[in-house]
Amino acid sequence: MTHDSHDHGPSLRLVGKDDRSGAHPTSQVARDVDWSILMARAQEGDRAAYHRLLQEITPYLRSLAARRHRDRGDVEDSVQDVLLTVHSIRQTYDPARPFAPWLVAIANRRFIDRLRRQGRTRDREIPLTAEHETFCESAANLGERPGERELEGMVSNLPPAQQNALRLLKLKELSLKEAAAVSGMSITSLKVNTHRALKNLRKMLLNRSEP
Amino acid sequence: MIKTPDLIASLAANATPVRRLRPPVMRAACWLLLAAVVLTLLAVNQGIRPDLVQRLQEPAFVVSMSAAALTGALAAIAAFLVSLPDRSRMWLLLPMPVLIVWLSNVGYQCLTQWVAIGPDGMSLGEATRCFATLVLTSLPLSLAMLVMLRYAAPLRPIAATFMGSLAVAAITATALSLFHVIDATVMILMWNFGTAVLFVGLAGVFGRKMFRWVAPRTLYARD
Repeated sequence: MTHDSHDHGPSLRLVGKDDRSGAHPTSQVARDVDWSILMARAQEGDRAAYHRLLQEITPYLRSLAARRHRDRGDVEDSVQDVLLTVHSIRQTYDPARPFAPWLVAIANRRFIDRLRRQGRTRDREIPLTAEHETFCESAANLGERPGERELEGMVSNLPPAQQNALRLLKLKELSLKEAAAVSGMSITSLKVNTHRALKNLRKMLLNRSEP
Repeated sequence: MIKTPDLIASLAANATPVRRLRPPVMRAACWLLLAAVVLTLLAVNQGIRPDLVQRLQEPAFVVSMSAAALTGALAAIAAFLVSLPDRSRMWLLLPMPVLIVWLSNVGYQCLTQWVAIGPDGMSLGEATRCFATLVLTSLPLSLAMLVMLRYAAPLRPIAATFMGSLAVAAITATALSLFHVIDATVMILMWNFGTAVLFVGLAGVFGRKMFRWVAPRTLYARD
């Protein structure tokens, strides 16, 4: 990754000797001019310039996002959000004006939108804690529900192929492809065996409930 | 989830040339030109109100109408400025002084020259014609404003729609006072203020939806 090297300064110093910018460090001004030029060229359809611009602003956006979001995934998502927004409204940039304020305004908008969305989600949803988790291994759930042991017994009475298919697909919730890879059975035979297993179980349960 | 370098590569591959937006004041001028064309066409079609010359000598009428027109123009400029990411939000205050003059003038007229609406104060025919003017002015202007402001959708949708609809409302109110004899002052207030509230309200309800409809596509691809 070359990203980190961009953080410290621009690769092209156009106004490197310009000392008039009292408040801003020169490198920042240079970077801004650099980005302005790249964006102006991107607006004219220069793909290489656009690619370089997006690559250069990404670490900057990441550092801005890190101030608002704690989760790394959120930071990366926000950065991508900003990049998409920049792409879709790139015609609103006026090369006569500085680039950074334009970018930062868009970025802040996106970050705040994400924070708001997260706030709304938090109000509605409860995160799962360790106690909510359940395990497909029978040992973890021993005696949790009354009929469980009995059902487990019934499952172990099934023919081995059916038992295997049922455990992989229904209890471990693997996909057909994964289950086929694990068990070495074909997808068709997994389907057939699951179907038969469920049918047998249903029969057994019905027989049990009839005295 | 797509990796950021991949996203950058795909965005760069899609970097078709784009036409830069013209300066906001110029775009506002274009929109106001459209408004002028619409008003002229309506004037040709419906005819100016018969007592316009006479009314133009009353200062209250002149102040109220020019304040409405000016509110429209300034709100349009503010809408186009606010729709850009790097312009200050303070531009939203630009039309406020004139807006206050306009609304307070209408309110003042309403208080001082209260005219009761008699049984023939306003006929149904006149009311429908007023309504036709309202729709004919506001519809093309709103649509044009919506399309011109579509880049504001991911930035400040509420502020931009608010300003845009204020501009449309003010221009529509000007049109109403140009074309229709609404002398019952309560009617003026109702029409003026009613139009403003109507448009701002509609914008609040449908603004986001309409923006989604015209906004650049990639924005909502991940929602």
